[in-house]
Amino acid sequence: MNYWRAVVKIFAKDFREEIRRKENLAAAFFFAFLALVLFYFSVDPTRVDLGQSGAGLLWLVILFAGNLFMGNTFKKETETGTLQALLLAPVDRSAIYIGKFLVNLAFLLILEALILVLAFILLAMPIGGHIGWLAAVWILASAGYAAVGTLLSSLVAQIRGGHLLFPLLAFPVLIPLLIAASSLTQDVMLGHGAADIRWLQLIGLFDTIFLVAPLFLFEYAIEE
Amino acid sequence: MVFRKWRMLLWAAAAALNAAGLYMVFFFVPEEVTMGEVQKIFYYHVPSAISSYLLFALAFAFSIIYLWKDEPVWDTLAHACAEVGWVFITVVLVTGPIWGRAAWGKWWVWEPRLTTALVLWLMYTAYFLLRLFSGHDPRTARVAAVMAIVAFFDVPIVHFAIKWWGSIVHPPKVSLEPEMRLTFMVTSAAVLCMAAALTLTRAAIGFAEAEKLAGEAR
Repeated sequence: MNYWRAVVKIFAKDFREEIRRKENLAAAFFFAFLALVLFYFSVDPTRVDLGQSGAGLLWLVILFAGNLFMGNTFKKETETGTLQALLLAPVDRSAIYIGKFLVNLAFLLILEALILVLAFILLAMPIGGHIGWLAAVWILASAGYAAVGTLLSSLVAQIRGGHLLFPLLAFPVLIPLLIAASSLTQDVMLGHGAADIRWLQLIGLFDTIFLVAPLFLFEYAIEE
Repeated sequence: MVFRKWRMLLWAAAAALNAAGLYMVFFFVPEEVTMGEVQKIFYYHVPSAISSYLLFALAFAFSIIYLWKDEPVWDTLAHACAEVGWVFITVVLVTGPIWGRAAWGKWWVWEPRLTTALVLWLMYTAYFLLRLFSGHDPRTARVAAVMAIVAFFDVPIVHFAIKWWGSIVHPPKVSLEPEMRLTFMVTSAAVLCMAAALTLTRAAIGFAEAEKLAGEAR
């Protein structure tokens, strides 16, 4: 089986499975909704203008909600032995990583679309006119999150009770991404576009490092 | 015990250099004009930061070698370096605010270098949680090695992100008086020797532990 066909198969398998079972996604979506509502209650709306300063909150919601499904990327597979079978398949192991990464990215983007709609409706964040820039920034930043998340979830899947560890491992590593994505999102919402191009470069660098490194590291991360 | 000679030598050197260094810090070096005596924390704060960065770099290198060669000795070395590095980054995070309180009037300033140290501390604390959770599972070593590599790759990105994010002014570059430079060199040597001695001691303990586990398994 050639490499990209394997990637597509793994992507299709996981995507279909999650769409059918829905438990991870449903939890993440509901959590995102809940977190936005809670965030709104945690600030005084007469004093804090979330449109001016709320971009970072959206990224916190993305990180927290994303962690609900991303930490489980390999959980079921290690439990049912599917991972064993995947590892035996005559295909480079990085194909498994890429497939899983794409699934996580797809779910993150769906989650973010929901968060954007909610932020627009509930928090009146100025999103309307800047969808193009927002999409560009969020897709780039989500790729970084999915890249790191997929690799780290393969690590925690091998440890008993490891899913508790996922956010503890991932969030410190994601700090630069959070800073960059929050700044850019705020810039875009205030109508400046990507005012500071350095942030885009930083996200690009993050994506590159954490997409290339796992191609070598992943093999060791899931070795049986 | 492994490294016995080296450990003795390094501990002796660390003791002598620290004695000299502490004497110089308290009695020899002149007080800095604006910050006064609290600035003297610098002589241990900065070498601690250097030591921790060096040790994290070594932990990264040993982790790579471990994944490549798959020999437990490299994992033990990586673990020792990361652990002692963590101790020194903790020293940085404790001494930083004490100095900051006097220099900037605040315990914590989200200043780029201090904040980078904090993020490093968070990442390596997570690394030890990972080891703690997985106990003596044989997979622990590989999983921890991957995490050490991920953390190390992240450091430059963290550094730049925090530098651009914070608009807080960098403390001005220090220019050192000759006595200050000499003292700094002595304390740096002292801290580096101590770091090396601690790391070798920790590694020796690690080897002993591994031997004991292997004995129990047999």
